[in-house]
Amino acid sequence: MKIFATLARGSLIAYTALFFAFIYIPLALIAVYSFNANPVNMMTWTGFTTEWYAQVLGFKTKISENALYLESTSQLVEALWNSLIIATSTTAIATVLGTAIAIAVYRFDFFGRRFYRTIMFMPMLMPDIVLGIALLIFFVNSGINLGLKTIIIGQCTFLISYVFIVVSARLAGMDRTLEHASADLGANEWTTFRKVVFPQLLPGVVGGALLAFIISMDDLVITYFIAGVDVTTLPMFIFAMLRRGIKPEINAIAVMMLTFSFVIASLGLYLRSRQK
Amino acid sequence: MRDSIVRLEKAAKAFATPEGQTVTALDAIDLDVSRNEFLTLLGPSGCGKTTLLQAISGFVQLDGGHILIDGEDMTDRPPYRRPVNTVFQNYALFPHMTVGENTGYALEVAGVAKAERTKRVGDALRMVGLEGMEGRKPRQLSGGQQQRVALARAIIARPKLLLLDEPLSALDKNLRQSMQIELKTLQHELGISFIFVTHDQQEALTMSDRVAVLSGGRIQQLDTPRAIYDQPKNSFVATFVGASNLFEGEAGSGQLVTKDGLSISHGRQGATGAATALIRPEQFFIAQSGDSAPGLDVDLEQIVFVGSTFELFGRTVTGRRVIAEIPAMRRSLVGEIEQSRRARLAYDPAAVHLLPAEAA
Repeated sequence: MKIFATLARGSLIAYTALFFAFIYIPLALIAVYSFNANPVNMMTWTGFTTEWYAQVLGFKTKISENALYLESTSQLVEALWNSLIIATSTTAIATVLGTAIAIAVYRFDFFGRRFYRTIMFMPMLMPDIVLGIALLIFFVNSGINLGLKTIIIGQCTFLISYVFIVVSARLAGMDRTLEHASADLGANEWTTFRKVVFPQLLPGVVGGALLAFIISMDDLVITYFIAGVDVTTLPMFIFAMLRRGIKPEINAIAVMMLTFSFVIASLGLYLRSRQK
Repeated sequence: MRDSIVRLEKAAKAFATPEGQTVTALDAIDLDVSRNEFLTLLGPSGCGKTTLLQAISGFVQLDGGHILIDGEDMTDRPPYRRPVNTVFQNYALFPHMTVGENTGYALEVAGVAKAERTKRVGDALRMVGLEGMEGRKPRQLSGGQQQRVALARAIIARPKLLLLDEPLSALDKNLRQSMQIELKTLQHELGISFIFVTHDQQEALTMSDRVAVLSGGRIQQLDTPRAIYDQPKNSFVATFVGASNLFEGEAGSGQLVTKDGLSISHGRQGATGAATALIRPEQFFIAQSGDSAPGLDVDLEQIVFVGSTFELFGRTVTGRRVIAEIPAMRRSLVGEIEQSRRARLAYDPAAVHLLPAEAA
């Protein structure tokens, strides 16, 4: 019996270790290779350098002079810039609309309310490729030129759903007697919303916004369909590189994005834990 | 008419259940609450007491009838425009605000200047014994303290009427009893009317000037605690408030005979017809040999010691259950009957209350 218990415990520890290794070793490798000085083959370690980071940030470096690539660093920076513009705009729009819809659906009774609530889940369940094609056909048929604005509109269609779901979860867990208490103490609906409902909803709204931002920065499939020929986002740029040879800068960019996501996610979790 | 602060005229409300039935929560209720009165709405869950409270605070719209507060018709006014404040069952404190902000909420919403607000928050917290707690968050307080904040928040705007929806039900027994006394004192100091909802009959009897016993959306009896206990109007009130022994039967002068042949003496001379006799458990005493008082012979099934009293659970020869309460100072007598498992439970006929017969 004792042996079995030890064995079971041992294999559980081994399994756990493997599990985490599987998830985190690739990420660790990227971080390591982002400091690799080999300009041609990024999988072969030839020495330590921080020049890739310097290059991404726009400094002149020696390393880029002896490397030959199709894409220039300025194109890469432009793609990153596009992604940031798109993510900021979509986050703002999706957060406002998603929150408003969640409040409407959870707080007011109107015809078709349940249908509306169900339909808000649809964009999340739909395969990206279907949504991408659908949006492309829609934009082309309605004569809208593809570009930054179609990407923003297109991403909003599903990002609203994410915000809606996060805010809804917060609303569902909120105590309605607090609103009664506020009304009982003389506050009308607007004052109650401002002073009681919204402050409590805020962690959900912030969480939804952060989620929307990260998904927008990351989206490739849908954006690919509706981007047109002039606009390239960061994921599209990285994807294109795969076919033409990967610039080692990509590792540096990946590590920076990872750090950025990590900071944002930690911030979100921290705000959340402080609120409740 | 007495000086009335709240008046309900034929207040009616029905709810539709998910199964498609209609439940009458308020069945054309008339009620007058006087200025400076402590009125308790007492009843089992589903009797309509909370609906009645919410109709006064404005969270339930009446199907029919009127509500007047201090002479003004409030029937169609939203809750935030009624001069009434509520202490909620789960306190409903705003978790994102401090104790001070919670307490001052009504004043802030009403646009009272900060300096005066701060002063009145301090006063209100002092009244409930939470001086200097302004900066704490509700979650840092105990249940009893949260209860006091809810109370301070509800009285700060000096409402004409304070509604309390089972506010003590979440507190432990000792705290509940001390809060009962405090609430009563507070009500006297403030000089405003309290309407208190509870399902705890002990609580209702302890605190109230008058008690309204509700069942099935109707007020079964509205009276002082003593009258409710000593002269209940029907068997519902008799059984809901306090423990009781009821004997239905045919009343004659000074005597009531039950269907199973028991004879109960009572003090009313002119009584006739179908009636129910009520004997409270504490009115029984153990008859000793030579006692001439009327009584019932019972076989004892259980004797339970509860501290100040013994509770005797007995059965008459006809199989009827009888409960009696014997003061613990009579423990020598209890010792005797514990041996024999038989006793004669005597009573004073004058203490027997007769209820009119009811349609079953």
